[in-house]
Amino acid sequence: MSNPIISIEKLKIETRNGSYPLVNNVSLEIKKGEIAGLIGESGSGKSLTARAVMGLLPVNMKNSGRIVYKNSDLSALSPKDHRKFLGKEIGIIFQDYRASFTPYIKIGKQITETIRTHYPIGKKEARNQALEVLGKMGLDSERVYCSYPFQLSGGQVQRASIAMVLALKPALVICDEMTTALDVMNGEKVLNYLEEVRKETGCAILMITHDLALAYKRTDRIYVMQQGEIVEEGLPEQIRCQHQHPYTKKLCACLLSLPGENFIINERVNDL
Amino acid sequence: MQRIVSIISTRIFQLLIMILILSFVTFLLMKVTPGDPIRAILKVDDVVVTTADEEKLRQEYGFDEPIFVQYGKWIWGVAQLDLGESLISNRPVLDMILNRLPATAALSLGGLVALLLISVPLGIIGALYKGRWPDYLSRWTAILGASIPSFWLGLLLIYFFSLKLNLLPVMGKGTLAHYILPSITLGIAMAPIYIRLLRERLIATMQSTFIEAARARGIRKERILVFHALRGSLIPLVTMFGLSIGSLLGGVTVIEILFSWPGMGELIVTSVMQRDYPVIQGYIIIVGFLVVLSNLAVDLLYLIINPQINQEKESV
Amino acid sequence: MDTVLTKSTALVRNPNMLGGIILAVFLAGVMFLGGALVPYDPFKIDMGNRLQEASTLHWLGTDQLGRDIFSRIVFGAKLTIGLGMLAIFMAVCIGVPIGLISGYIGGRMDAFFMRIIDGILTFPDFILAIAIAGILGPSLTNIVIAIVLVRWIVYARVVRGLVLSEKEKEYVLVSKTSFSSPIKTIRLHLLPHVMPDIIVMAAIDVGKVILLISALSYIGLGAQPPIPEWGAMLNDGQGYFQVKPSLMVYPGLAIMVTVLCCNLLGDGLKSHFDIRKGRQEL
Repeated sequence: MSNPIISIEKLKIETRNGSYPLVNNVSLEIKKGEIAGLIGESGSGKSLTARAVMGLLPVNMKNSGRIVYKNSDLSALSPKDHRKFLGKEIGIIFQDYRASFTPYIKIGKQITETIRTHYPIGKKEARNQALEVLGKMGLDSERVYCSYPFQLSGGQVQRASIAMVLALKPALVICDEMTTALDVMNGEKVLNYLEEVRKETGCAILMITHDLALAYKRTDRIYVMQQGEIVEEGLPEQIRCQHQHPYTKKLCACLLSLPGENFIINERVNDL
Repeated sequence: MQRIVSIISTRIFQLLIMILILSFVTFLLMKVTPGDPIRAILKVDDVVVTTADEEKLRQEYGFDEPIFVQYGKWIWGVAQLDLGESLISNRPVLDMILNRLPATAALSLGGLVALLLISVPLGIIGALYKGRWPDYLSRWTAILGASIPSFWLGLLLIYFFSLKLNLLPVMGKGTLAHYILPSITLGIAMAPIYIRLLRERLIATMQSTFIEAARARGIRKERILVFHALRGSLIPLVTMFGLSIGSLLGGVTVIEILFSWPGMGELIVTSVMQRDYPVIQGYIIIVGFLVVLSNLAVDLLYLIINPQINQEKESV
Repeated sequence: MDTVLTKSTALVRNPNMLGGIILAVFLAGVMFLGGALVPYDPFKIDMGNRLQEASTLHWLGTDQLGRDIFSRIVFGAKLTIGLGMLAIFMAVCIGVPIGLISGYIGGRMDAFFMRIIDGILTFPDFILAIAIAGILGPSLTNIVIAIVLVRWIVYARVVRGLVLSEKEKEYVLVSKTSFSSPIKTIRLHLLPHVMPDIIVMAAIDVGKVILLISALSYIGLGAQPPIPEWGAMLNDGQGYFQVKPSLMVYPGLAIMVTVLCCNLLGDGLKSHFDIRKGRQEL
C-alpha cells in the first residue's frame, strides 16, 4: 500500500562494557497514518527501543542495526543532524507528565521555544501558534500558556505536551506509556485528543504500553515484546484470539477485563 | 505575602540575637583582658602620665562602672544608632565605618563578578565534559583554589601583572584598573565551592527526565544547558551564596590589607592594632547587620528563582 | 588480614586519597627530618649572609636578616601544622560532646539554642577571629583561642543534626528502652555513627584553620615577627619581594601544599566513608 514511515531493522542495544544485549534483533515498521502498538511488561525493552529512535540512549549503551525514517538511517546520523528530526519529524510524549516540561519555565515559553527551534518564525507568530494548539487540546490556552507545569493537573500537562507535539506536526508520534500516570478518565480524554491530532495531521503513532486493553482498543497493529525481542506481531484480533507465542498467551491470560473473557469473572462471582 | 513577612521577621530576630550575643561576648572579653585601653590612649598621646590622669580618663569613658551598666548603656546607644566614638580619633564610630563601606561594597561586587566569571564557566565545562580533560582542569582548579592562601595568590598576581608585566596598578583604589587584581583574587578565593557545586548540580540536572524531554524536542545542547539545566542548578548556588556572604566579608578584609584598599577591613585591622574598642564593637554590629541584610535579600531572590517553593508554601 | 589488605588497596585506588597520603608523608618527612638535614637555627640573624640565592649551603636561600629560609619553613611547619591540629582537636573536644548531648536530649530548648547558634554561624568567622584576637591582643596563642571559640560551634551544629536524624532509628530506640544509661547509648551508638563525618570535617578544617592562622598572621594579628609562622614570614618579607621573590614564594607554597594535603585527605576520606555507608545500608 504505502511505504513505511519508519522501519527499524535488526535493532540491537547493549551496554558498552558488557556484551549483554538489552534489546536484540528488533524489527518493526509503521506505515503512514497507522497506530502501531508495542506491548510488553516493564523491562522488556519497549522504552529503550523508543529511546534508540530518538537518539536518547544513556551514554553507557550503544545500538546497532538500522533505523530508517523516510529514506534516511537515523542511527547513522551525527547527533547534530539527528537533532533536526526530533520534534519536527518525530515527536514523543512521555509517561511521566511532570517530566515533559522543565519545571521552572512557563509552558508557553517551552512551546514557542520548540517551534522556533525548527521554524524560523517570529516570537509573536510562535505565540499565536502555541495558543492555537493549546486551545485545540481543550485547554484554557491563555492560562496554560502563562503557567508553570506544577500549577496544572496531570491531565492538563499531558494535553499540553500533546499540543506541543501537534504544534510541529510530526509525521511520527511516539507515546511512551503516556496514560500510565493518569487516572482512567483523564487517560481516556488524553487519548481522544491524540486521536484528533492523528486525524488532523495524518501522523503515524507508535503506542508503547503495557496496557493490553488500551492496545486492543486503540491500535491498528500490535507488536509483542519480551526480554528485548519481538515475539509476535499482528492485528489486535490476531494477537488476542489466535496468538502463537506462549508469552502472548500469558499476557492475555493476565487480563481479566478483556472483552470476550467475561466467563472468568462470572466464574469468580459464582464461587463467592 | 505572608511568607515574605515571616522571612523578614525571622531574619530580624536572627539579627537581634546575633548582635546581642556577639557584642556581649566581645564586651566581656574586653573587660577580662589585661590590655588596658586607657593606657593605649595615653600611649598614643605620648605624654607623661600620672595615676590621677588615668583615673580621670577612666571616669570620662565610663570604664569605672560595673560591666552590665556599661553594656546596657552601650546597647541603648546602639538602639539609637549611636555606636560611640573612637578612642583614638574621637570621631563617631558609625561615620568612620560608613565612610569605608562604599569601598568595601565596591570591592565585594568586583569579587562577585570575578566569582561568576570564574565559577560558572568552569562548573559548566566540568559538567559538559565529565570525565575528560576539561573536567579535570575544572576539578583541579577547584582543589587548588581551595588550598591557596588568598593573600599569597594576591601577592603573586601583583608580582606578575604589576611588577613584571607592568600591566596593572599595584595598590590603592582609583581607576577601574585598580579593581582588577583584588577582584580576581577575591573571586578565586571564593570560587572552589561554587565550581564544585555547579558541576555536581549540572550533572545531576542533565540526567533528569525533563532534560531528556527537551532533547527529544530537538533543542540544541547548548541551549538546553543554559536555558533548561543551568537555571535549575542555580537554586542551590543561590543558597550557597547566602551561606557564604559572611566568608565574603571576611575574605575581603585580607584582600583590603594586601592591596591597601581603603575599606572597612583595613579600618578594623588598624583599630585592632590600636585597641580601639568602640570601633571593633561597632564593626561587629555593622557586619552582623550587613550579613543579615544580604541573607534577607538572598531569601527573597530565592522566591523569585524558584516559583514552585513560593506556590507550595502559600497553598499549604 | 584480608580485609585490611582490601581496605588499604581501596584507599590507595582513590586518587585524592593517594595524593593526600603522598603529600602527608612528604610533609612529615620535611617536618621531622628537615631539621636534622639542615642544621641552622631558624632564629639566628646573620647580616653578612643577607638575601642569599639558593645554594647547597642554603637550599632555599636566606632572608633579609640572613636566616636560612629552609630552616625557618621547617620550623614553621611544626608550628603551623601543630597549631592547626591542636585548634581543631580542641574544637572537636568541646563541640562534639555538646552536639551529642543537645541532639540526644532534643526538645524545645535544643531547637531554641540551635536557632541562636545558626544566627551566630552566619557571622563571618574570620571577622570574629579578628575581633577576638584584637581584644585579647595579637599573638599566636590568642589566635588559637579565637579559632577554638569560633570553630566548636560548627562541630556542635553538625553533630547535633546527625544525632537528631539517627536517634529515631530502631537500634538507638532499643538501646534507649533497654535501660542503658544515656551516656552508654551516646557512646556506643551515636558517637560511632557521627565519627566518620567528624573525621572528614576535621581533616578539611585543619587546612582551613591553617589558612586562617596564616591570614591573621599575615595581616599582623597572629604570630609576631621573629616567629617563623608561614603567614608571618610572608608579612615579614613583603618589603623585599621585589628584590627577592623567593622570600614570598616558599612560605606561600608551604601553606598551599599543606592545605592541599588536608583537602585531598578530606576528600579521599569522604568518598571512602560514603562507600562504606552505602554498603552498610545494603
